[in-house]
Amino acid sequence: MRQNKETSRYYLKQTIQWAAFALLMFICFVLETAGSFVKPLLLIPLVLCIAARTGEIQAMAVGVFGGLLMDIACGKLLGYNAIWMVICCVTVSLLHSYLLRDKLLNILLLTAVCAGIQGYLDFVFYYAIWEHEDVSLIYMKIMLPSSIMTLISAIPLFFIVRWIARLCGNRRTYELEKTIMLNYQ
Amino acid sequence: MGNFLKSTRFRVILCIIALLVGVMVYAVSVGGYTISGIGLFNSIAAPFQKASNAISERVEYLLNLYSNAEYHYEQNKALREEIAELNEELADYEQTKERLEELEAFVGIKEEHEDYTYSAPCEVVGYVTNDPFGAFIIDAGTHDGIDLYDPVVTDLGLVGMVTEVGQDTATVTTILSPELSVAAYCSTTRDQGVLTGSVSLAMDGLCSLQYLDKDTALKKNRVILTSGENGFFPKGYVIGYVQSVQSDASGMTCNAIIEPAADLANPGMVVVITDFSGKEEYNEAE
Repeated sequence: MRQNKETSRYYLKQTIQWAAFALLMFICFVLETAGSFVKPLLLIPLVLCIAARTGEIQAMAVGVFGGLLMDIACGKLLGYNAIWMVICCVTVSLLHSYLLRDKLLNILLLTAVCAGIQGYLDFVFYYAIWEHEDVSLIYMKIMLPSSIMTLISAIPLFFIVRWIARLCGNRRTYELEKTIMLNYQ
Repeated sequence: MGNFLKSTRFRVILCIIALLVGVMVYAVSVGGYTISGIGLFNSIAAPFQKASNAISERVEYLLNLYSNAEYHYEQNKALREEIAELNEELADYEQTKERLEELEAFVGIKEEHEDYTYSAPCEVVGYVTNDPFGAFIIDAGTHDGIDLYDPVVTDLGLVGMVTEVGQDTATVTTILSPELSVAAYCSTTRDQGVLTGSVSLAMDGLCSLQYLDKDTALKKNRVILTSGENGFFPKGYVIGYVQSVQSDASGMTCNAIIEPAADLANPGMVVVITDFSGKEEYNEAE
């Protein structure tokens, strides 16, 4: 009886957690389309932070959803960013399962790599390939500042995602992880 | 890791990637028309985007006010000097007359072109993230009679063209983009050229009128209008004003730097010209 109650509470918390993540992604999408100035691509660090805390299949779903939102916000071909975000999210999830610990520095490094490559691909496929004059200006004045801002935005997003995950996650799993970490240290 | 590569999960991920490639190919095949599911999402997101954009524009304005106080002071000083120069110019009867003729052409557009069919005023709900040419999204789509490649204008001048359209939203590419070419002419000197954008000029909110005759009589502040020759833009709509004229690298033709008449950075309300005489339908052009 008690086990059933615990299981249903666990599922309820999981549902709230994923609803919160979806809402956070939607907020980031709206912020990305507001104003004509250069902005960070908030969805990149957000999906990476979420992927770092989930299994590969969930990470893939987050990558698809986040990538498609990025395609709409950036006016890109539908699926273009989604493919890259799926690859990034699954890789981040696998790295956190087998190699990395849930640390801010790891997320910052992974965000830098993902945002850097995404920015470069964007620049090549959408601007450089057309051989416009002074195309490097786009990289220097838009892509690079945006990538740096994306990297900085990973810091608050990491803590927000961690807070949601701890608030809604399975308490026993969290305590177990904490004990393992203490023993490890 | 080796186990993961052999697992069903890995195969599922590969399938999803293949599906996304399929979506990409399908998106290419439908051209500028938004896929229906995405159109629905855009319709849901539009009010949130509008609210967020309004907040963002207000914050941008306040930040600009405080952070650029020195710049505004300098700009104010420069503008005062410019006003003094303009006052001197106004004293000159010939120039005043010339300017008056240009203004008459500007005012006369509506009377002259009764064939224009305008959409209801559209609001900018958001901007395409980090687009160097200032593309933006408006809150009107095919439901409002807007179609792909319709020209977009403000009361001040030409803004751009609809390059992607959904049921309730549409993406507008501005005249700062090198992707757009507009046949244009000067209302006074009748010099003709092709207006297009470039990366470096777009950073300063400018575009260029190319392929002008090397003996062009164009001068600063002349009005540039659409000539309507390619059938995508109506004839006689104001595009902008000449800032400077220079010979191109080959020396065979001249280029003029054009300052758009409309505020492309913050267009506010825009109107789509859904029909005009001489409009060449996309399908016909194809």
